[in-house]
Amino acid sequence: MEKIIALWEGSGVANLSPGQAIMIAIGFGLLYLAINKKFEPLLLVPIGFGGILANIPEAGLAFSAVEQLVHMQVPEQVADLARILNLSSTGVKELSEAYANAPAQVQLAAQLLADNLNYNNGMLYSFYSVAIGSGIAPLVIFMGVGAMTDFGPLLANPRTLFLGAAAQFGIFATVLGAIGLTQMGVMDFSIAQAAAIGIIGGADGPTAIYVSSVLAPELLGAIAVAAYSYMALVPMIQPPIMRALTTEKERKIEMVQLRNVNKVEKIMFPLVLLVLVAMLLPDAAPLLGMFCFGNLMRECGVVDRLSGTAQNALINIVTIFLGLSVGSKLVADKFLQAETLGILALGIVAFCIGTAAGVLMAKAMNMLSSKHKINPLIGSAGVSAVPMAARVSNKVGLESNPHNFLLMHAMGPNVAGVIGSAVAAGVMIQYVSAL
Amino acid sequence: MSQAELMNEGLSLMLYGMGFVFTFLTVLVFATSLMSKSVLAIAPEEPAPAPKRSAVPVAGTNDPASDPVLLAVIGEAVRQHRERRR
Repeated sequence: MEKIIALWEGSGVANLSPGQAIMIAIGFGLLYLAINKKFEPLLLVPIGFGGILANIPEAGLAFSAVEQLVHMQVPEQVADLARILNLSSTGVKELSEAYANAPAQVQLAAQLLADNLNYNNGMLYSFYSVAIGSGIAPLVIFMGVGAMTDFGPLLANPRTLFLGAAAQFGIFATVLGAIGLTQMGVMDFSIAQAAAIGIIGGADGPTAIYVSSVLAPELLGAIAVAAYSYMALVPMIQPPIMRALTTEKERKIEMVQLRNVNKVEKIMFPLVLLVLVAMLLPDAAPLLGMFCFGNLMRECGVVDRLSGTAQNALINIVTIFLGLSVGSKLVADKFLQAETLGILALGIVAFCIGTAAGVLMAKAMNMLSSKHKINPLIGSAGVSAVPMAARVSNKVGLESNPHNFLLMHAMGPNVAGVIGSAVAAGVMIQYVSAL
Repeated sequence: MSQAELMNEGLSLMLYGMGFVFTFLTVLVFATSLMSKSVLAIAPEEPAPAPKRSAVPVAGTNDPASDPVLLAVIGEAVRQHRERRR
């Protein structure tokens, strides 16, 4: 009988907390969206599955060794830990808080204790610290994105870079929105957290994950989920805004055929960009440096094997671990908070403002110069979300004029948006860390 | 950080951030145009016609019947095929 009771006490059902149950349901929900609705499946399948794994009761896959020790609640062991942390109580909450706020030396001592008692870091915790904690995974993905990006349309019409810049307004407006919510007492975000939430408006998954891993790791789960879900929703979010801000006549504008771009120009572009980043914004160097490196491998034509690996095998491997690591942040006590709802709401506002700013910028550019009109519909592609946003521009354009193919024209602002959000990310990291 | 300070920080982050993004991309527009112009001046349209030149002959003007290598390959393939059928 005792054995049966022990078996029951060790089972998942007996230990499942309501929070974990909700988070597992959210994990299944993400899997449903990814598999059935095709929402960014490459990321939401690993994220959703990682979220389920992270919330399996007693398994502690997303816990560090010390957290495992705290949760096991073996009396002598937690007493030892409490002594190290200079604490009288041995409750889970008190110990976790004291450990998180303890100075580095004390944390190290606690880790040694956990190590001596044969506790190990959970699998997902290890993935997280290697892939995201170190900042490597988003950067490697950015290298792959660089290797997949063709800057031809951008080089043929460099003015479209302005559209990519304007669409970043969504990022900064959302930072202000997050601070406004704090001001009204609805939420409580610091400036670093507000900056990390704003980057959702950049519509660029790896950039969002990179920025939040640097500025606000505690919000990473919610930010990554919001960024990838809204990227999947681009075809639904953008068209109404684009139609509302343009007239039928503007939507019919046909753009001049793009010129042929020389191979040497394509090789030179990542180098020019790299030099500019090095000179003006070293904080964006990790993101844009890897991006330029990937693009140079693609265009130089002498390392096709490396370029092929970067844009296929490598990016796929890293995506698996990135997704699982993000999933590890979907643990109940960190995700089930009012802040998450605020982040989801602010994220969609960021998207809408970015889209609107891009379209309005294109209209402004048409007012300033009359030759070579720009169809304002390609402005919305300035939010990154490559290539979805460009396809949306093309589709809305075809509705007004069935012979007007905007896809290649929209790819210019689209890749400009990637550069723009990486620059914005660098600016925010630099600004916040200088505070 | 007090509430008013936080709002100030937010506003200045927005102005500074947007200003920087625009400045950076404007410089990039000029740098890119300059680079394109100089590349086109130094190596004018050199690689552009290259794919055309290689594409056209393969596409049509070459008569397969007058290509000795191709004829030899086909002949050998036919011979092997017949040998195997025997």
